[in-house]
Amino acid sequence: MRSGSSIIHRRSTGGWILLWVVLFAFSLWTIFPLFWAVVTSFKFTGDAYDPTFIPWVQFKPTLQGWRFVLITAGERTFRSLKNSIVIAFFSSAAVLFLGSMAGYALARFVFRKWKNKDIAVWILSNRMFPPVAVLIPYFLIMRTLRLLDNPLSIIIAHTILNLPLGVWLMIDFFRDLPRDLDDAALIDGCSFMGAFFRIALPLVAPGLVAVFVLSFIFSWNEFIFVLVLGFNKAITIPITIAGALTTKGLEFWKVATMSLIGVIPVVLLATFISRFLIRGLTMGAIKE
Amino acid sequence: MILKPALRKELVKWGFLLPCLVFMMLMAVFPLGWSLSLSFTKWLGTIMAKPQWHGLNNFRDIIFSDPRFWADLGFTMRFVAMAVTLELGIGLGLAHLLHEPFRGYRFFRVLFLIPMACPPIAVAFIWKMMVHPDVGIINSMISAVGLAKVKWTTSTIVAPFTIVMVDVWEWTPFMFLALLAAYQALPEEVYQAAAIDGASKGQMFRRITLPLISPLILTIVLIRTIDAFKLFELVFGITSAGPANSTEALSYYIYLTGIKWFNLGKGAAMSWVFLIILLSISMFLLSRFRKRD
Repeated sequence: MRSGSSIIHRRSTGGWILLWVVLFAFSLWTIFPLFWAVVTSFKFTGDAYDPTFIPWVQFKPTLQGWRFVLITAGERTFRSLKNSIVIAFFSSAAVLFLGSMAGYALARFVFRKWKNKDIAVWILSNRMFPPVAVLIPYFLIMRTLRLLDNPLSIIIAHTILNLPLGVWLMIDFFRDLPRDLDDAALIDGCSFMGAFFRIALPLVAPGLVAVFVLSFIFSWNEFIFVLVLGFNKAITIPITIAGALTTKGLEFWKVATMSLIGVIPVVLLATFISRFLIRGLTMGAIKE
Repeated sequence: MILKPALRKELVKWGFLLPCLVFMMLMAVFPLGWSLSLSFTKWLGTIMAKPQWHGLNNFRDIIFSDPRFWADLGFTMRFVAMAVTLELGIGLGLAHLLHEPFRGYRFFRVLFLIPMACPPIAVAFIWKMMVHPDVGIINSMISAVGLAKVKWTTSTIVAPFTIVMVDVWEWTPFMFLALLAAYQALPEEVYQAAAIDGASKGQMFRRITLPLISPLILTIVLIRTIDAFKLFELVFGITSAGPANSTEALSYYIYLTGIKWFNLGKGAAMSWVFLIILLSISMFLLSRFRKRD
């Protein structure tokens, strides 16, 4: 963040008040739904429909919701948690593996026949089509491979989903590295592989972490592919959240608690890589 | 065997790129191709049925005798236009107001990242409780101040706006933070020179700020537009496409047709029509912005 006062940055007292009022209002609007979910998750079934906010004063807090989600329905919750972690982990690892190699190739070598830029744009264009456009063929492919309701099918789908992002960010990170470093390594007798694994990769470590965490978050959040490819064994957290909608209608306490289980891990991860989130979401167009 | 350095370089270069390209060919290009070939067939009801050649009938059916497809396309486009415009407008306003360094900037940045990091389906369900027409917190607060309750999810007129509102909640911070970063990269000297020349704040915004950040605006508008067209979770969670299909997004209808009703041929054809529309819109947006440069 740039410091010091300047012409575009000069502000009167009135300006400061306006700034804080707007900031406060926008923060309240942003955080309220999650605050409400937290409050509701500590309410009894009957209290969950009341507009009360303060525990002990306005309503009697309870762990009923959390006990139900983690113990009574715990088997399903933990199965989907485990699947979510396994799927997000392996698909992000695949994105990292394929993405860093392709990113390195496109950042460091010249492809004459198909220009580097065209290859990169083609890779990116794979992210444009809506997932729904490939749902039917994916269903058929995974059925043929006998991978329906198997986490592997979802790992493959999520890898394809996040790979364009991974390649683009890695191109960006490798370009930021001074070229001399791997050139020097090559002159010193390092092989291309050596230059990649021992010089370039360690230097872009923060970028690798960012790509991994970003695709972990997107995989964790993804809903449609799991809805189509998983039925019972391979369900993830988003599907379990959607399952909180029962025939009895919307049980607020249960929905709130279940949603929070999906929300908390990714929000923590996002905080951890907050510097890279906008960069990732804009495909590297913005560097903070 | 010792290879010539040039040849070895070629091998390494392709060795690095090919795994990614091959994987994409297999799992992105091939499925799209398969879906195109399915779109010319009739394959209905059960997986055991054999797909039959159906020519262009699926496409004719969608284009000429499926008003639901066009209604859904209309809703999706209205949704995208409203949501992206509002997100850009509010985001730009906030970035303009808040671009000066202020205490606690880091804290607020993390706070504003929360909505876009959440699973969309969780966002949908949390909002579904909040906008519940009878017992939702929003209507409780509205009636507490003596106003009439809003039929957030039960009126065909209001429900589309409810979906827009939740999308705006989720993605305005993205626009805001992206634009904030752009604002902070603006060159100081240009503004100083403009101030010496006696330019007003409005002139500076129109003549300096906007032209400088417009390439970035194009990028984020394009990204948001493409992503907004994928609308699915919010509709699935909040309204289940109701009432009376008034919030049925195109991707939801394609999901119903292809997966739920197992009309694979028509579903594939629909997804291709959707794809072509989406591509034309992105091309149109790109060319519009290119012209301005």
